[in-house]
Amino acid sequence: MEELKVAEETRVVGQAVPRLDAEAKVKGEARYADDLAFPGMLYGKAIRSPVPHARIKRLDLSKVAAHPGVACVVSPADIPGENVVPVIYRDMPLLAAEVVRYVGEPVALLAAETREAAYRAAELAEVEYEELPAVFDPLEAVKSDAPQVAVPEAAETGNVFNHMVIRKGDVARGFAEADEIVEGEYRVGYQEHVYIEPQGVIAVPEAGGMAIYGTLQCPFYVQNAVAAVLGLPLSKVRVVQTATGGGFGGKEDVPSQLAAMAAVLAWKSRRPVKVVYDREEDIATTSKRHPAVIRYRTGAKRDGRLVAVEVEFYYNAGAYQTLSSAVLWRGLIHAAGPYRIPNVKVDGYSVATNTVPCGAFRGFGSPQVIFAHESQMDELAVRLGMDPLELRERNALRVGDRTATDQLLEESVGLMDAIERARELSGWERLRREAEEFNRREPFRRRGIGVSTVMYGVGMGAKAPLLDKAGAYVKVEADGSVTVAVGNTEMGQGALTVLAQIAAEALGVRVEDVQLAPVDTSRVPDSGPTVASRTTTVAGAAVLDAARKIRARIEAAAREVLGADAVEIADSKVWPAGGDSGRAVPLSEVTRWMWVHNWDMGATGWAQGAPVDWDPETGLGKAYFVYAYACHIAEVEVDLLTGEAKVRRFWAVHDSGKIVNPALARGQVAGGVAQGIGYTLMEYLPSLEGRIEGTLMTYRIPTAPDMPEELVIDFVEAPYSDGPYGAKGIGEVPLMASHAAVANAISHAVGARLTEYPALPERVFALARNKTHPR
Amino acid sequence: MKKTGPVEIVKPKDLGEAIAFVRKGGMPLAGGTDAFVRIRKGFWDPPFLVYIGELPELREVEIREGGAEVGAAVTHAELLRSEVPRRLPIFRLVLEKLGAPAIREMGTIGGNVANASPAGDTLIPLYLLEARVNLVGPDGERSLAIEEFVLGPGKTALREGELIVSFWIPFPEGDPVPYFHKVGRRRALYIAVLSLGALLWLEGDVIREMRLALGAVAPTVVRPREVEAKLRGRRLSHEDLEPLCAELSAATSSITDIRGPDWYRREAAGRLLLGLLRLREA
Repeated sequence: MEELKVAEETRVVGQAVPRLDAEAKVKGEARYADDLAFPGMLYGKAIRSPVPHARIKRLDLSKVAAHPGVACVVSPADIPGENVVPVIYRDMPLLAAEVVRYVGEPVALLAAETREAAYRAAELAEVEYEELPAVFDPLEAVKSDAPQVAVPEAAETGNVFNHMVIRKGDVARGFAEADEIVEGEYRVGYQEHVYIEPQGVIAVPEAGGMAIYGTLQCPFYVQNAVAAVLGLPLSKVRVVQTATGGGFGGKEDVPSQLAAMAAVLAWKSRRPVKVVYDREEDIATTSKRHPAVIRYRTGAKRDGRLVAVEVEFYYNAGAYQTLSSAVLWRGLIHAAGPYRIPNVKVDGYSVATNTVPCGAFRGFGSPQVIFAHESQMDELAVRLGMDPLELRERNALRVGDRTATDQLLEESVGLMDAIERARELSGWERLRREAEEFNRREPFRRRGIGVSTVMYGVGMGAKAPLLDKAGAYVKVEADGSVTVAVGNTEMGQGALTVLAQIAAEALGVRVEDVQLAPVDTSRVPDSGPTVASRTTTVAGAAVLDAARKIRARIEAAAREVLGADAVEIADSKVWPAGGDSGRAVPLSEVTRWMWVHNWDMGATGWAQGAPVDWDPETGLGKAYFVYAYACHIAEVEVDLLTGEAKVRRFWAVHDSGKIVNPALARGQVAGGVAQGIGYTLMEYLPSLEGRIEGTLMTYRIPTAPDMPEELVIDFVEAPYSDGPYGAKGIGEVPLMASHAAVANAISHAVGARLTEYPALPERVFALARNKTHPR
Repeated sequence: MKKTGPVEIVKPKDLGEAIAFVRKGGMPLAGGTDAFVRIRKGFWDPPFLVYIGELPELREVEIREGGAEVGAAVTHAELLRSEVPRRLPIFRLVLEKLGAPAIREMGTIGGNVANASPAGDTLIPLYLLEARVNLVGPDGERSLAIEEFVLGPGKTALREGELIVSFWIPFPEGDPVPYFHKVGRRRALYIAVLSLGALLWLEGDVIREMRLALGAVAPTVVRPREVEAKLRGRRLSHEDLEPLCAELSAATSSITDIRGPDWYRREAAGRLLLGLLRLREA
């Protein structure tokens, strides 16, 4: 087992500092997109396609324009720049001009004096559609006779947007050597983000350009999209992030679409335009987690050693590319799990269908394949008669091992420690034994214990290394307080508190003396997108880089002020090195002196992810610069009379390197456990002929009583040498691990393999009555 | 999605005025937990609303000889805090599972009954206890058994201009053991996929008398009286209950909707009879 290195001693990093944005949010002072109003502001609304696939024969907006209160209508011809929502590809138009490809696709826009007038006027559009054959299932859409959905330039073949592979070793030989082979097909449906604040932006014309205010994760994506539709240089578009009520990936690319709509309306009307979705519009028309079909085959020796894995999986991308190629890639890299496997063959397909485009959601294409690989591990354990935790231990990646993409892991692999800690905290053997005793005693209740282990590639990875960079600007004020500007966003995850802690640690100031600047693309450095659990690691490194430059200047000034050869700085105080810290002077004396003597008080910092290198032909190479790991254990109770399942207790252990703020990290884990419970047990969003109708009445996410009565969270810290103070990422990992532990617990409880999410009562009821193997 | 304009709400000064407003076409409004959602979504466009939520006649909970009288505008939370659950513990089991705290503070028993949803939680104890619905209208007062009042999904025997004033809930003889299981896809703030409520009069482990009420498995809440009759004299044991599961299933006429498929409702309803065995643990 790897020796855990103790990182340098820290004073602020590692402390459970209260979130810096908590007070404003608790008091209701934080201003969200819909709280903002500008003089003369209009309300924008999209006119959307009611059909999944059709040619637009006629678009008549005269009745819309004539409706009282309507100030502006926009058809594709009114778009001053390019009719596109640029994401990775440029296949998605802002407004469908000739063909609509999904129910809810925007075909025209309007802006009115009131929200009500906008809603009413939207119903008056006269659009004539010539319906085309449509396809909704990715397995149907890949057939040669399927209707063509994908814009051909954006697809590899037919409706296959992307096909990606891993070819490691020789799977045929691997399976030939296997003593046991398990095989399964797994299916998952949509998962909706249900961020507490729906999508919303306001476009405000200013100084020959456009300002955008909105709830968003990636201001520089929005800037790029708005510049494209208005035909403006990037410097004429300014994006300001408003207080953001949750993202989970749902505000990665979708705000670009809303901002482009609002911007085009504002450009034409020369008035501010607000576009805020209500929950129904948000659920029906914005991105979701990709529904998937995963076919999986695993071979192992009798002692449990994995020898081969073969995976074929299909993601329903929806009508346009948006982020699907990146989502598919992460699914590909994560498909084999955190295990040492000599022979790996993976084929991943993202497929166009006449459905709403799917996109980013916490885990980003990995939860689907994790459901499969963790189910396979448990199936294998049953077949081998082996304890499922032990099977994972035998195969878990360690330092010096190679991943499924043949990447050598040189440092920071805390998986074994996480497994051991989870085993210990949960009392694994006793827990399994107690469940068995309970099940022997109880006629109509069954308890099950499930485990999952996962790895997570931190950052953008080798698919988009160009985005794995971050800039920071750190300025010390004359009074010793500090301003930090980065282009990464706070969306509820605690990023600004963590970044403030890193700045405070590096500078030797108190965290309350650090202020993060509001995110405005005209004033903060481009720090890349706030996605991929990368902010602490990459933006944190940029902040550290800038702060160290300032620290050197402060020390130089302090040596002058104190007349000392060397100084120490902590808690916003300075004293001669080796001297009595009780006789320290306030840092403000030094910073005031710097200001009076015309010193440069600010510095920029820069960071980029360590180099990655991956070959798309073989799927081999260094996919990510570092990985985070987790081991989750769930105890579930199933009511055999009704199929209802409840998670009773839960243990979650993570290796995300150094934990900068334990309270926030625990919050991330608890939230990820909740979201994972929702994914496995209840979150169900059926699509009928491509039509999604969901409200919070019908789409159920967990409530407080759905959380386990006991939730134990712990961290093993395997530091990452390139991360700030050894930190890796955490944001997505808890969700990735939790759902599979719950799924395995259900299968263990009822003695039959759950192969489809969500495990609604009727599905568990049916599963329990048609057992596939003895428990 | 349709959004209607503002709706006028009138607040009558007394019950007489309320009836007059309702007679003119006004629709009664109490807690608004359903009404406002429907109006906002454009599913309902009432001419105007008559706010009856504070009329004193509708706000009282009174324990009397032989029963409790509960005003129609008593909220679920008020009922839960009242003397009623102490005398009729089935109400505690049901009300604690109704909605979530905010809904319970606003929603009323009268509204829940007037909605006449087969999944209406308060209907279960009202059916089990054979409550009566006290109405007042232009032609005076009348009283109907709950099973005569609820006619189908959203349909009741309310005549034009009539209001529910209160419910008369008779205390049952003896001390029946209550049972309630509400099946859902999560554990709070959900509408029943199906539910089973029961009152059992036990002598040792023998069922002397039994009432059952099934929710969300038919157009109205169902009292499967044939199954009840067959349960009399049986023991509270797996062997004695199991043969009747299929008959309980047969008493349903389920549909498939967004909350669950018909086959599941039918089968699970039958299986839930075995849930009564859990009463032996208590």
